[in-house]
Amino acid sequence: MESQPTLNVVYDSTRRGSVIFEELREIFNYRYLLLQLVRRDILTRYKRSFLGVAWTMLNPLGMMVVWTIAFSQFFKASNLPSYPSYVLSGLLAWNFFSQTTTASMVNLVWGGGLLNRIYMPRTSFAIAAMGTGLVNISLSMVPLIGVMFITGLKLHWSILFTPISVLILVGFALGVGLLISTLAVYFPDIAEMYQIVIMAWMFLTPVMYPETILPAQYRGLITALNPMYHMVKLFRIPIYFGRLPTLAEFLIPLGISVIVLLIGWTVFTKKSDEFAYRI
Amino acid sequence: MADKSHGLIDDQPIIRLENVSVKYRMPQERIGTFKEYFIRVLEGKIKHRSFNALNNVNLSVNQGEVFGLIGHNGAGKSTLLKLVARVIRPTIGRVIVRGHVAPLLEVGAGFHPELTGRENVYLNGAMLGFSQAEMHEKFPRIVEFSELGDFIDAPLRTYSSGMSARLGFAVATDSQPDILIVDEILSVGDEAFQHKSFERIQSIKAQGATILLVSHSMNTIESMCQRAAWLHRGQIVTMDTATAVVDQYLGRVSEDESRQLSMAGHAELPGGEKEYKPIEIRQVRILNHQNHEQQTFHTGEGMQVEIEYLAHEPIDSLEVGIAIHRQDGVHITGPNTAFDGLDIKAPPGVGGVIYDIPSIPLMEGMYHLSVALVNRAGNVILDYHDQYYFFRINNHGHDVHERYGVMTMRGEWHML
Repeated sequence: MESQPTLNVVYDSTRRGSVIFEELREIFNYRYLLLQLVRRDILTRYKRSFLGVAWTMLNPLGMMVVWTIAFSQFFKASNLPSYPSYVLSGLLAWNFFSQTTTASMVNLVWGGGLLNRIYMPRTSFAIAAMGTGLVNISLSMVPLIGVMFITGLKLHWSILFTPISVLILVGFALGVGLLISTLAVYFPDIAEMYQIVIMAWMFLTPVMYPETILPAQYRGLITALNPMYHMVKLFRIPIYFGRLPTLAEFLIPLGISVIVLLIGWTVFTKKSDEFAYRI
Repeated sequence: MADKSHGLIDDQPIIRLENVSVKYRMPQERIGTFKEYFIRVLEGKIKHRSFNALNNVNLSVNQGEVFGLIGHNGAGKSTLLKLVARVIRPTIGRVIVRGHVAPLLEVGAGFHPELTGRENVYLNGAMLGFSQAEMHEKFPRIVEFSELGDFIDAPLRTYSSGMSARLGFAVATDSQPDILIVDEILSVGDEAFQHKSFERIQSIKAQGATILLVSHSMNTIESMCQRAAWLHRGQIVTMDTATAVVDQYLGRVSEDESRQLSMAGHAELPGGEKEYKPIEIRQVRILNHQNHEQQTFHTGEGMQVEIEYLAHEPIDSLEVGIAIHRQDGVHITGPNTAFDGLDIKAPPGVGGVIYDIPSIPLMEGMYHLSVALVNRAGNVILDYHDQYYFFRINNHGHDVHERYGVMTMRGEWHML
């Protein structure tokens, strides 16, 4: 039987392995907390609304409709089959990233008072934010497939690759989330600034426009150096384009994701002892 | 840090702090923006002030002990609790804690108002490190202890503060922890709940848990703890039996208070000498029944308030009144000579009255005393010392059984 995680154990402040691995072990011990935090986020977000969790699906759908009305004529020349599906698939990946990173930061800065009173693994909030994002993106797949079906886009078996794309996206988002959370603890202004950054970043990423409309001389620069370009693309390929990614299309985002996650995790855990002094 | 025991022998203390210092490093000014920060870095102008929340503290608590921590606010008590709860790590030194630590949170910490009581119980339990299986097992007991009944499925925002306090306490104390951390929790909720939580803590104690207790109530410390430590500015002043530490602490507190009092006595009275008053309060003394000045009384002791005035002109109808306020501003009582049918004619010169309290009904605490001189003709306030004097009720070492509330009614119990 599972027993209390810290029962019959000795905590010695001078004895510790690497904080990086220790945090991993603690997160494993506290996995039920992650589940509860995700549950809290999802339950409370829609608690008072009539349609409830359905909003998870309606939200991106509504956004898609707005974008489509606003821009489909504009991008007609680009010859995108089913512009709504193109926008929606990009939007799902983008929303996942912007919502989870923002939530990681906000939950730590605003909910961090708790970390001052009881011990919880410090990465819990960020990881739980990823969990919430995963629930949302999974539910949003339903309207996406619906829109593809209605607009006459064929579903391909390659869609089964999507979970891998999402996993790579999770790694990247978690890495970024941990990095900006660390920063936000020291500089509260980061939280405000990030909203602007994320907005600019979205316009620099081919989310609602085809990358072909970018001026040729900047296209390489904007795409190759923008990690989210690779992430969004990897998400879109198996769904919207209905094919498996090429090796390069797969390995580049994977590499970025792993590196950013390692950096974020390391920076966060190394600094997290100071958080209780700061928050 | 969750390694299995590294050969620590069983009779070793369950909590040990070795030369522990906690140093908060705070920028001297608050730098909130990047821009400012970079400018400062470039200028080499970031100055940090370090603040020792704890300074070279050594402490051992044995298994099954109830250990009290006393001291003023900011003395380092909470920092010490955080070290044991492993919320913060010491800057210098070593903290060893053996076993499962359960902290008692402030009311509602970690609760979400939109979630139901049930959902909050599971969330809170998870925050305390319990697994799903454990929470399923605990849940019925928690509901029972919290006495919430059907309310358990209502959103927390519909709860009264007492209800959420009960629920939070029930979650935190349902399991038998090895170490329980109690930070002034006994002062929340209604009386019935306070009593119930007191009993729960007693039963946790009876089952062999070690309890670390922070309280400002010397009665609580004395009645619950075997040993205690007095922290002052991050250092342990005394560590001894609870009674001895409380004695020392109260001794120092009343010394400080006397010093404050005598300083206040020499200070210029409010209003000063500049303004002409037909009559003024010359001296106010708080005396015991042996006619000695005293600042600290115990419940049931006799007290006299001696008020001397100096009249510069005859006052035909003088009224002398006092008011007693508890430190938090609650007005306890306000007797005056007119209510009691005493009509004073004050000729020029010194005169005075004594208000005799045969037995103080007040419970522990700090109380302020105000004195006023009023001309009943026209109801004019002639002189007024607003909450200028104070005394303390401290039942330490006295046979006072009552514990809660503002006052005792000196009632008696009889079998029906």
